[in-house]
Amino acid sequence: MLAYNFNWDVIWRQWPTIIEALLLGIGLAVASLAIGCIIGILCAFGRVSRHKWLDWAIWSYVEFIRNTPLLLLIFFVYFGLPQMGIRAFDKIESFILTLSLYAGAYMCEVFRAGLASIPNQYVEAAKAIGLRPWQRQLYVVLPVMFRITLPSISNTLISLFKDTSLAAAIAVPELTFTARQINANTFRVMEAWLTASALYLATSYAIAWVLRLVERRYSVIR
Amino acid sequence: MRSKDKSAEGVGRRSLFGLGAAVGVAGAAGSALFGARAAQAQLVDTSKSKLQQVLDRGHLIVGTGSTNPPWHFEDDTGKLVGMDIDMSRLLAKNLFDDPEKVEFVLQGSDARIPSLITDRVDIVVQWMTITPGRAQQVEFTVPYYREGVGLLMMADGGRFKKFDEVKAAGSDATIGAMQNVFIEDWVHQALPEARVDQFESPDATVQALNAGRVDAYLGDQSAIRWLMQQAPGRYVDGGYGWMPNSYASAVKPGDPVWLNWVNTVYREAMLGVDFPTFSASYKKWFGIDLATPKVGFPTEFS
Repeated sequence: MLAYNFNWDVIWRQWPTIIEALLLGIGLAVASLAIGCIIGILCAFGRVSRHKWLDWAIWSYVEFIRNTPLLLLIFFVYFGLPQMGIRAFDKIESFILTLSLYAGAYMCEVFRAGLASIPNQYVEAAKAIGLRPWQRQLYVVLPVMFRITLPSISNTLISLFKDTSLAAAIAVPELTFTARQINANTFRVMEAWLTASALYLATSYAIAWVLRLVERRYSVIR
Repeated sequence: MRSKDKSAEGVGRRSLFGLGAAVGVAGAAGSALFGARAAQAQLVDTSKSKLQQVLDRGHLIVGTGSTNPPWHFEDDTGKLVGMDIDMSRLLAKNLFDDPEKVEFVLQGSDARIPSLITDRVDIVVQWMTITPGRAQQVEFTVPYYREGVGLLMMADGGRFKKFDEVKAAGSDATIGAMQNVFIEDWVHQALPEARVDQFESPDATVQALNAGRVDAYLGDQSAIRWLMQQAPGRYVDGGYGWMPNSYASAVKPGDPVWLNWVNTVYREAMLGVDFPTFSASYKKWFGIDLATPKVGFPTEFS
């Protein structure tokens, strides 16, 4: 049996702080996903355009980000950039920047796959009705690509939300940071981490559920 | 303060003997015999002291750590060094005339009291803060350092260089500190309005200071001195320390002979014959030149 006396008071006392921390985490993930999608779309189009050097540059970015631990990237942006003279971002901005670049690399691959799986007839049809190249992209390719990649986008959002826990390492007061704080102040290890785990689980599940509704409405993959 | 407590305890013990003697007088006519036995008991006590055990064994066993510069840590060659290590070697030097005759038992901070109680070590020399609660379980020697927290700042490129400037900045100042029990309260005790950024480890906090992410690093005074010693000219000390506490060694309770001997060594290291050794260690680990204690007077006047 577990010989441990639970004391949940320490959690209730900090409840407003915990919720604030959770919302901050969700905010960080959503902001990063939004910026990451923009980076991803630009990069995906860059890769399918027939510019060798552009393709190579984007490939390097994607492979560099995907093969580097996220924590290392966070440390580099937070600790490294200011020492190289770049002091433009505060701790939250530098975290969003890092997570967006990280998300961008993954979204680039997702969108590239999306672009590749758009049936050629769609583009042919768009040409046939006289749409200009940019109109073809904006009105035909992009919407279809989004609908194809919707499940991957939801997947990425959940994964990014869990990655926000790494922001604790650079003093961003999100959920993991707050749990560790309660832990340090009260030594209530079980209560603090069980609460954090439950909240991560519940939130990830809620995000997944909402996105599944969206998918059911829009996705082309049934 | 500690030595006064000790003498009070000593008196207590002696008066207990006195009481025993009085009972002896009342109970039997042979009071002289009893007195002799009491004296003998004290003699036996002395030879059973840890002091004698250590001398017989031929080396001292010290409980300490290996992960906290400048107190006890491994240098570039893997050798255990630091202020605590120097204090241990000073004891060995005074026991065996050989500072190398020490066996170090490496342990975590939470093992400091248990290792004494279970006789695994003769003494703990491991940056131990004196608290009344701990003093109920072990006996403390005279302190050899007064610890506290202070602010470390960049010598160049930072926004502040002095404690007063940080204080004047109010909520515009950000202090970096390692995430720890009530660390925010510690900061706010001296800087009520300052913002606090908390990091997982001391080195991450120092990196935040290097990167200009925080205006000052809140650390132990000894850690601040050590960092300044490691990178001369890079950092400055804010010039104000708070949260005072005393570092001392601890021994198993109930052995006044051993405790008194260690106290004698420590006191004479700080004030007497071993001052050159002590001040050299102090200079090495904290970068501070100690003033020679005033001669020609008792300690109270130096």
